[in-house]
Amino acid sequence: MGIFSKTKPVENSQDLKESYFTASQGQLIRSRFKSNRTAMIAGWALTVMILIGLFAPFLSPYEPTMGGRDKSYENGPPQFPKFWDENGFSARPFLYTTERKRSIKTNFRWVLTENREKRRYLELWVDDWEYSFIDLNIDLPGTTFDFELKTLTFKKHLFGMDKGGIHLFGTEKSGKDIFSRTLHAIYTSLAVGTLGVLLSFVLALVIGGVAGYYGGWIDSILQMITDAIRTVPPIPLFMALAAFMPDEWSAETRFFFIATILGLIGWPTLARRIRTHLLSERSQEYVLAAELSGASASHVIRKHLLPSFTSYIIVDLMITFPYVVRSETALSFIGLGLTDPVNSLGSLMQNVSKADVLLNYQWYFIPVIFFIAFVLAFVFVGDGLRDASDPYSHTK
Amino acid sequence: MLKFIQFTITRAFLSLFTLLVVSLIVFSLMELVPANCAERYLAFKNTQGQNITIEDIAAEERRLGLDKPFPIRWGTWVGNVFIDGDFGDSCILRLNINELLSDKFWISLGICLAALIFSYILAIPIGIYSATTSNAVTNNFIRFISYLGLALPNFLLALIIMLFSTVFFQESLTGLFSNEFRDAAWSLDKFMDFLSRAWLPIFVLGWSATAFAMQTVRALMLDEIGKLYVTAASARGISGRKLLWRYPAKHSLGPVINSLGFDLNRIFNDLPVVALILTLTEAGALLIDALARSNDQQLAGAIIFLLTASIVLVNFVTDIMLALMDPRVRQGLVG
Repeated sequence: MGIFSKTKPVENSQDLKESYFTASQGQLIRSRFKSNRTAMIAGWALTVMILIGLFAPFLSPYEPTMGGRDKSYENGPPQFPKFWDENGFSARPFLYTTERKRSIKTNFRWVLTENREKRRYLELWVDDWEYSFIDLNIDLPGTTFDFELKTLTFKKHLFGMDKGGIHLFGTEKSGKDIFSRTLHAIYTSLAVGTLGVLLSFVLALVIGGVAGYYGGWIDSILQMITDAIRTVPPIPLFMALAAFMPDEWSAETRFFFIATILGLIGWPTLARRIRTHLLSERSQEYVLAAELSGASASHVIRKHLLPSFTSYIIVDLMITFPYVVRSETALSFIGLGLTDPVNSLGSLMQNVSKADVLLNYQWYFIPVIFFIAFVLAFVFVGDGLRDASDPYSHTK
Repeated sequence: MLKFIQFTITRAFLSLFTLLVVSLIVFSLMELVPANCAERYLAFKNTQGQNITIEDIAAEERRLGLDKPFPIRWGTWVGNVFIDGDFGDSCILRLNINELLSDKFWISLGICLAALIFSYILAIPIGIYSATTSNAVTNNFIRFISYLGLALPNFLLALIIMLFSTVFFQESLTGLFSNEFRDAAWSLDKFMDFLSRAWLPIFVLGWSATAFAMQTVRALMLDEIGKLYVTAASARGISGRKLLWRYPAKHSLGPVINSLGFDLNRIFNDLPVVALILTLTEAGALLIDALARSNDQQLAGAIIFLLTASIVLVNFVTDIMLALMDPRVRQGLVG
């Protein structure tokens, strides 16, 4: 059902029909999803982006924090490695050496000049700053629960320069590499999204489950409260909650706090859907049968009702994900969300609306492209999954 | 008729209940701030060179009623808001919140409602057209725009528009008033000046609502067009625009009206961030200022409450409108 969807091949042979009728639910969903080309492309794009996010430290040549800043290349434009110029061809991609000068001629502003004679070469598989894939550092108030875990530490990076720096997307005003920051920001968005979605999922499951299973006055009251919370515009509410974060909190604590409030406010829509589904499902005969054989409420919910709509829930989670990421971006953008050294797409874009940036440093906008691609990929995959998990979608 | 009045009253009570829950949330938020108003007032006096003791703070707390338990303070706040429409004073700015907000809130509400109207003026014809056309290119284009409505949040759209306008026209398109009108009283000239600048925030705020509304209208129309009564009508010889407007469009209008409240919610969502980018001077910008800079929870709470209250009001009005317009609902109520 996507943009480029093909017409379904006519199933004429007996074998095809047979396999269609004997296929499991999962197989059917998979085959329907695969026949949706837009969703498949989006799926691959998403996989690539998730991998980029997970391996961000390996792929990025510099630390995304102040530690990785390049003092001699502040507000520098993107650098693209070249293979040839007027001085000849090179098998290894190279950059020119840049020099920074300021004098009376340039009105005492730093001006970058390229020295075309001096080439610097790109290197693959280089040693540089150290990073760990598992780096847990919990620092709660008090000292009893503090602990630090740091394993899988590496120093290898995919690429770097033999001397000087390489900044594919340019640098920002303190000389931090925008390319490295973007990759790390994708990871942050994924992590915040996952945490927030999981938390709101658990809340939605409990509240929607109770409302839908018991029905009656419990349902009415829960619905009234859910609806009331749903009317409050969420981003202003996020902002109000996020404003409580004390300034002295570490970036990690802020990260968990933001993910928690995103989860705490995101549940109502999901809860409503779960409740509606449960209400229609609980009057089915198999539920009655289970209740008559003495199954407890929680047993019926867990063993009979939940499995009846797992695919539905997964789709819903996929659809909620971009909203959570979007809210986080908005929060960080206005300075109430994540802060340095945790990078997020929102905090990357914090300074871009200044006239100076708009006029002179347009490469600050490069992360925006990644953000849009990221959310679009999620939306397309979510949509494809929804179409695929609906057994009647192909008859439409 | 009696049933209709009954329905209106039930709806009104439900709306009031929603407002109560919202006021509880907002008020708890205001109470969570580390320092209370008394401490803040006196901290200010301290900077003016007065010596402050613990007793002074306690006395100030008594004066402001802060020594009473939470439910009573909440009750007082709700009472003041619901009966007098008075949000009290902002501790930080030491000004009455109503005076502080006054026409700034109305400007925000006006811009948001204009954005809502704008989005439906665009979405309804385009949605209906895309549901009836068999042109794959148009359909896919509309589909893509709707997806982009989600992927490109309004504030990013505002940023991108600003980027292009500064690069190509050397004009950053910010603010709501030109300099000479900023502090002037409302007049025709000021209003015209306002209109000449307000189109950008209206467009930006309406953007994702338009994208969503387009998809809703299209889906609803597609559902209705396939139904038998439309086939029957076309068999009777009604065709073209007349058929569309008289039958399926009329029926799909119900759910569209129902979704107005949530669209307004979506627009309010983006209001503060868009206000920050376009440097608007209205309630959204005040909200950011209150939260991110001055930590003024009284002002922030009042703004969030007012925004939610307007959504509740829109929901109430659309419910009543729906009951009046839809013969099925009307039949059930009026008898």
